[in-house]
Amino acid sequence: MTLAVTKRTESHPSTRGQDGRGIDYASLLRAAQGGNQAAMERLLMKAQEIAYRFSLLVCGHADDADDAMQEALLKTYRHAAQIKEPAAFRTWLYRTVKNACLISRRKRVDEPARLHSLDEVAMAPDGSVHRIDVADPGRRPDQVMENSRLRQSLHRALQTLPPESRLIVFLREVEGLSTRDVAAVVGISEANVKTRLHRARLSLRRYLEAP
Amino acid sequence: MKTPAPDRCRSLLEQLSNYIDGELTPAQRRALTAHLRRCPCCQTMADSLKHTVETCRKAGTARLPAEVRLRARARIATLLASGAAARPRT
Repeated sequence: MTLAVTKRTESHPSTRGQDGRGIDYASLLRAAQGGNQAAMERLLMKAQEIAYRFSLLVCGHADDADDAMQEALLKTYRHAAQIKEPAAFRTWLYRTVKNACLISRRKRVDEPARLHSLDEVAMAPDGSVHRIDVADPGRRPDQVMENSRLRQSLHRALQTLPPESRLIVFLREVEGLSTRDVAAVVGISEANVKTRLHRARLSLRRYLEAP
Repeated sequence: MKTPAPDRCRSLLEQLSNYIDGELTPAQRRALTAHLRRCPCCQTMADSLKHTVETCRKAGTARLPAEVRLRARARIATLLASGAAARPRT
């Protein structure tokens, strides 16, 4: 049996600015800039979703998520109208979220670091972290259990990587950015992104496949 | 001179990410595919690396927890309702 290979479509020039789930950020931004409130709301929700995933998977701190989401929300709202190149919006958004999360972490630098699984926690308005119901009505319980187990393993595995490699894996694999966009967000060459991504994949594989 | 098997495997291992991402040249891809058919160790490695990549990609499709989503929506509503103070310049 050979490995099935599919080329990721976001590396194609015509689909740059879209994420792995087909969201066209450039069109969404243009609509928002034109006064479409629904488009603006969707954009603001996407910014917060990215900030949430970033906080948990890259920073590893669920308690920073609300601050990071708020910062990403405000920055996106205030600057969306000024962005001249909608195609570059997606990389701008990820850079903004990255900075927002790092600022949130610095504010809490004296607090003890705690790791929480994406499937285990939610945060109350007072900042306390508690377990949440992650039932997914679209999937069988055994699939939910399996996905939950995999995501928890992934979360732990990501924390074993150096911070920059974790960021690269997050942007490329979890968020579906092209190699070029990852390079732009991280500030390194595409060749460097590929090399580090390959090493990170091998490390993650060792961790995830361990008994 | 023919490359010894372990070195050949090591060299092809470096190409596995490009293989998974569909970024090999046709000739490189043919050579790697042929090697995988002959080498069960490399095939296992390729399968498990692909599984790792798929696990990462699945994490990006997970929905936000309901409470987090509600608070995110509330923040948007508050921001948009607050109007002039935070309204973007055009």
